[in-house]
Amino acid sequence: MDVIWGVSVDEVAWGGAIAFYLFLAGIAGGAFLTASMTDLFSKKQYPKVIQSGAYIAIVSIIVGLGLLVVDLGRPLSFWKLLLNVNMGSVMSIGVFIVSGFTALSVVYGVLVWLNAAAQKQIKITSANTEVAATSVGQGLQAFRKPVAGLGVLFSIGTATYTGFLLSAVTTNNFWHTPFMGIEGIPFLPILFLVSAISTGLAATLIGALNCGDLTTYKKIDIVLIILEIILIFILYLSVKPVFFTGSMAVLFWLGVVILGLMSPLLLSIYSLAKHKNVILPVCGMVVIGGFCLRYFVVYTGQLFK
Amino acid sequence: MAKKYSMIINLAKCIGCQACTVACKFQNNVPEGQFRTKTPANGLKGTYPNVSQYFVKEACQMCQKAPCVSVCPTKASYYNEDGVVLIDVDKCVGCKYCMTACPYDARFLNKETGAADKCTFCYELKVSNGEKPACVSTCVGGALMFGDLNDPLSEASQFLAKHKGEVRKPELGTHPNVYYIYEGVVK
Repeated sequence: MDVIWGVSVDEVAWGGAIAFYLFLAGIAGGAFLTASMTDLFSKKQYPKVIQSGAYIAIVSIIVGLGLLVVDLGRPLSFWKLLLNVNMGSVMSIGVFIVSGFTALSVVYGVLVWLNAAAQKQIKITSANTEVAATSVGQGLQAFRKPVAGLGVLFSIGTATYTGFLLSAVTTNNFWHTPFMGIEGIPFLPILFLVSAISTGLAATLIGALNCGDLTTYKKIDIVLIILEIILIFILYLSVKPVFFTGSMAVLFWLGVVILGLMSPLLLSIYSLAKHKNVILPVCGMVVIGGFCLRYFVVYTGQLFK
Repeated sequence: MAKKYSMIINLAKCIGCQACTVACKFQNNVPEGQFRTKTPANGLKGTYPNVSQYFVKEACQMCQKAPCVSVCPTKASYYNEDGVVLIDVDKCVGCKYCMTACPYDARFLNKETGAADKCTFCYELKVSNGEKPACVSTCVGGALMFGDLNDPLSEASQFLAKHKGEVRKPELGTHPNVYYIYEGVVK
């Protein structure tokens, strides 16, 4: 860099690793929510959906946290985040929400796995060993629903936290955008929560492909996509146009709007009408669109201050 | 009484020699390619031979309501007893949240320590011993002033009483302690 002429380089403090972390934390929160809500409230049995969501949550949040630590200037001192607390900092509060979520998702995943293993065993073992095998499992299974319930709170917390992390930067015009102009209600936590549930649900369905009738989930996903389109439209109206015309414009229009929202919405409605199974392309596009959204928001906020 | 250290930059007197840039790097061992302060050219105007430009010294603005301090998750960024924003390198994990929050791009991740780094007003090395920051004492044009605004008799207070000091991005409500004097400068 030239000291006198200040040749500007588009350097950003938070780059792709952080965008990917925000995306993965969203997937984890949404997948956990899909699994736990199904476990808690569904009358029909969807064991594959519960397993898929529970396992995806663990993998995503752990990979995401790994990225976060690697992106630190001093990765080996990450533990200091747990010791030095600043209650005024969203990141400091987030450390505890995300840690709690990670712990709960691991416990829940193990319980789901034990339950699935026990179910399998019942099918193959003889009648007299069945009693012994299930009683141990059943003792632990009593905790499954309370863990799922507490996890619901933490997964919503994790998903919204990724938005609060950015919206708390009051000096950033884009990240700090208020919802419908109402000062005090930040926009990004709402957008990221909806996107997290949408992408997490999509990822869970990819993991539970060909596992019976998933029509209910497909309908929920359509509602979420429509909700997200409305939110993106509100965002478009509430900020300066430079954010959507600069160097990140292609990513926004192609990645977020066309690939991530419009295409899956149209394809999904078409498939429901024609009874065709297009889960993989629909959910795949939703997930990729979710990543584009995080990448777009993280970079745009820093490039056009 | 607590001090309110402040820097005043008289732009009309700055010739863009970068003595401040160099003095800072020597004083604070700032890694190659990184700067706690630098003084780029601004506002190039007119056609030859009637041209004008000025230089604006950039560094931490020592905000009294510093976004970097409020977002820091480990309290590594803090105000000291004299209102100077400093970084406790030992507490910093290098999360760069402060760098996203600073509206003046004053912070960077030190290549050698991995911690956030920025201007300290030379607090530990100079000011706490009654000296002036390295950039101020080296400034050849006398464009830089440093002093305690809580002391009405200090050079800084006296100067600001007579001249209009402006802060950068006042609309953000950060209340910087670095003042710029644009008198005699074609903006």
